[in-house]
Amino acid sequence: MPFGRLSRVPWLRPVVGAWPWALVAAVLVAVRLSKGALLSDAYALLSRPFWPGSAQKEWLQAAQQLDQQTRLSQLELDNRRLRRLLDLQRASPGKVTAPVISRETGDWWHQLVLGAGGLQGIRAGDSVIAPGGLIGRVASVTPSTARVALLTDSASKVGVWVGRTQRQGLLAGVGSSRPVLLFLEKDPQVRPGDVVVTSPASTLVPPGLSVGVIQSVDEKAVPATLAVVQLSAPVASVDWVQVLTRQGPAAAGS
Amino acid sequence: MASLHRRPLFVVSALAVPLLTLAAPGLLRIGGVPPSWAVLWLLPWALADGPLSGALAGLALGLLLDCLHLGGATQMPALALLGWWWGRLPRRGPPIERSFSLGLLAMLGSTLLGLSVLLQRQAGAGWAVLLTAANLHTLLAQVLVTALLAPMICSLLLLLWRRHSASARG
Repeated sequence: MPFGRLSRVPWLRPVVGAWPWALVAAVLVAVRLSKGALLSDAYALLSRPFWPGSAQKEWLQAAQQLDQQTRLSQLELDNRRLRRLLDLQRASPGKVTAPVISRETGDWWHQLVLGAGGLQGIRAGDSVIAPGGLIGRVASVTPSTARVALLTDSASKVGVWVGRTQRQGLLAGVGSSRPVLLFLEKDPQVRPGDVVVTSPASTLVPPGLSVGVIQSVDEKAVPATLAVVQLSAPVASVDWVQVLTRQGPAAAGS
Repeated sequence: MASLHRRPLFVVSALAVPLLTLAAPGLLRIGGVPPSWAVLWLLPWALADGPLSGALAGLALGLLLDCLHLGGATQMPALALLGWWWGRLPRRGPPIERSFSLGLLAMLGSTLLGLSVLLQRQAGAGWAVLLTAANLHTLLAQVLVTALLAPMICSLLLLLWRRHSASARG
């Protein structure tokens, strides 16, 4: 046995006894020679439970959303400027924020009463928007209140536009929480999920306000196709709304 | 008997009807539909104060409520008719303070009121959409919640007003 015989040499005995240190030194040399490959692999294995997870994803999504919002506001500004150049929208609407002080959404009448009125510049016929889109139009005004006829009221009718297929329709309330979209032609080629916005040809409401999403389509209805629309604004729980005031008829004509 | 209308406080209590209609408290609703507060106030008033006062109170309430709502539909004729009918009831039959008959009267009253509004609102829109599911839901829910609240509210008001008119007579 050469190893046993070597260990019997007196001056070699500490060198042979230090073989674990030789192993450590060899590993360190290997790490050095491989530029730390072993080390980073071991670190990756150990730190796997702490790798970046959902939090960072949320930051990225928030940044993306911010980017999209800035681009949207930029495009809106562009759009307004171009429309003004084309003289399509004569009076740019002012916005009056108003609290909802009475809400009757389940009765025969679907109406809101707002805590702002003629003194704040609201006129009958102004459009009312909530977070989510258009909810109705002002029906009558007192000096400090305004009564809003919701889109779900059975007397409400507004011209709308399905952007994907570029079709016009008439949004009519039926007294339930979901108004009905009446199309003018037999085959409008819409399907559930299509987004409904206010019509670019409408003179009653500003163009391009989002209204809702088509929920179901009845193609066998007479005289033309009929669709049920889910409003995108939560009408039954909205507390503050914005009224898009128009300038008076004299100012608009100039 | 007919002395309630001489007390200004009792007459002013009718203002609770438009105020409650506007406030529409969320707890007292079935399926989002509030009760018909006009029926709940008019029923004890007419029972305690007679047909003429009931009909006039119905007219006044109808005027108040019509200016609170959209469109041209009016509740005046139905409310005046109900006030007159309920005012005539105590003279004929046995006394009707029982909860069941109060609930039944409120149920019939709010059915009549709801149908009158429904017919007027749908006359403009066309008769094809008269009995849509939404209108049926509103009508049924309003009748139900009014009839459920009537024994509670009407019997208390009736007790208060009967006691007052008894003390005024005696």
